[in-house]
Amino acid sequence: MLKDVSFGQYYPVKSFVHGLDPRLKILFLIGFIVAIFLAKEFLALGICAAVLFAAILFSRVPIGKVLRAVRGILFLVLFTAAINIFFYQGERVYWNGPAVLLQWGIFRVTQAGIVFSAFLVVRLVLLVVCSSMLTYTTTPVALTDGIESLLTPLKWIRFPVHELALIMSIALRFIPILLDETERIMNAQKARGADIGSGGPIRRVRAIVPVLIPLLLSAFRRADELGDAMDARCYSGGKKRTKYKKLRFSWRDLVGVLLLAGVIAGVVLMRFYPVFPL
Amino acid sequence: MRIVTEHLSYIYNERSPFATRALDDVSLTVEEGEFFGIIGHTGSGKSTFVQHLNGLLRLPSALKRRAKRGDTVLTVGEFDLADRKTDLRALRRKVGMVFQYPENQLFAETVFDDVAFGYKNFADGKPSQEETEAAVRDALTTVGLDYEAVKEVSPFELSGGQKRRVAIAGVIVTKPELLVLDEPAAGLDPLGKQEIMELLHTLHSSWCKTVVIVSHDMDEIAENCTRVAVFAEGRVKYVLPPRELFKRTEELLALGLDVPLTAKLTLALKKRGVEIDSDFTLEDFAEKVLARRRTC
Ligand SMILES: Nc1ncnc2c1ncn2[C@@H]1O[C@H](COP(=O)(O)OP(=O)(O)O)[C@@H](O)[C@H]1O
Ligand SMILES: [Mg+2]
Repeated sequence: MLKDVSFGQYYPVKSFVHGLDPRLKILFLIGFIVAIFLAKEFLALGICAAVLFAAILFSRVPIGKVLRAVRGILFLVLFTAAINIFFYQGERVYWNGPAVLLQWGIFRVTQAGIVFSAFLVVRLVLLVVCSSMLTYTTTPVALTDGIESLLTPLKWIRFPVHELALIMSIALRFIPILLDETERIMNAQKARGADIGSGGPIRRVRAIVPVLIPLLLSAFRRADELGDAMDARCYSGGKKRTKYKKLRFSWRDLVGVLLLAGVIAGVVLMRFYPVFPL
Repeated sequence: MRIVTEHLSYIYNERSPFATRALDDVSLTVEEGEFFGIIGHTGSGKSTFVQHLNGLLRLPSALKRRAKRGDTVLTVGEFDLADRKTDLRALRRKVGMVFQYPENQLFAETVFDDVAFGYKNFADGKPSQEETEAAVRDALTTVGLDYEAVKEVSPFELSGGQKRRVAIAGVIVTKPELLVLDEPAAGLDPLGKQEIMELLHTLHSSWCKTVVIVSHDMDEIAENCTRVAVFAEGRVKYVLPPRELFKRTEELLALGLDVPLTAKLTLALKKRGVEIDSDFTLEDFAEKVLARRRTC
């Protein structure tokens, strides 16, 4: 139940995409996001979508699972679309017919408005899908290792990169544990007749208290215990620490680099030399 | 309350790579008035099974379809869990559920408020202050706490054993007919364990006609239960009275389960040619051994 909500959790299968170097995947995600934001025409987004689709196929993550990530922001998508359909002020004509399809007070539905909001919807969906693909195909540990490695230059200015990465990986590791815990506590309070998730807003907030307080207590207890355990094993931060899994660049990574760098460069170029501008 | 389940299966995270089959074709009946034990290895599905008893887990749709055709899947007293229209609130009032480490569900500022939580939730309408007080006093006294001394105390200031008692009081405050407990004595010292078991006996002979208890402690099971179900990998291996069950000491050990001390001693004596036929409670076993010694 609760776990359906937490989109973007690692999906454990073996695939080409899973095997890529996490640093690469992070860089690509950034590149991809930049490309999607710079894209000004459907063709550019279409190319991004095609590449993303291929990545999904190669990752062996089921499409349904990926779409579930979109479901999480469905409201945002619909809201954006609605605002733009009703208020976009363009006059351009894309197909035979009047430029203004409907006028009702301040609401104005135009051809340009429909096209533009479709564009925004595609863009949003692509953004969510590509970000969730990173977390679907990369374990939290690999992800933080990758981030730590990418941020290494910051160590020169004494930025606590290792500590930051450690905090991240602990936080990521604790998400499923705390979700489990929430479900357990909710069940226990439901068994005592708690009515969770119904009634008006005030009743809802009051119903959260019996879940929230035990959850917080348990989180603090776990944090304490983890701290003690790390102390007991003489954990002392980033200095001179070696890694269990070394990140290595391999031939697949090279293939990935060349392919994706080409696509991203192409899409970015299209911003300056548009093919079918909106 | 009588519990009947037939061919009950349950899979967590169905249709995903995390799918775990937690229950596999479980059929068993618990009669009203029993003190029913459930044992099994960690991960054998005990907790999953008992959570079904007050509707905390939804039955898979395949089982609901079977129930529509008139088969029994899971009934607890007069409640049919496969029926979507079953009133879960009414069910949960009659089925008290004490989870593993129940002290982790305490939340209120005072012991009184925490125990009163379930009572107020289940009351029809708003109960008067006197009614609530009487119920909370009853519950706290039953679990062996001094009502006047603890009612205003924060539950988080109590000792571990006391916290657990408060948590149990918070469940029995509605006087459930069926009390389900998931490892109620886990993590307590031997004295605390014994006190909890005594408490359960008191409850069994007063408010809660039927008791279902999940436990790892075989001595506890041998001493107290009318019948015992053994779970292994989501299936029910045996349902037997302890007297019969612990005769199969070797089979239980092969399943990776522990047996009561008395069963181990019986087996050791048997290997030396001494047959003792006890019901595996410490008292009876000692008596039988002494009787044997006198005869030889
Ligand atoms: N909330 C859950 N989500 C997913 N799997 C679970 C959950 N709870 C239990 N399981 C799995 O179901 C199986 C049975 O667990 P459980 O009923 O807790 O066993 P027991 O109480 O006998 O130790 C185990 O394999 C466990 O990993
Ligand atoms: Mg359990």
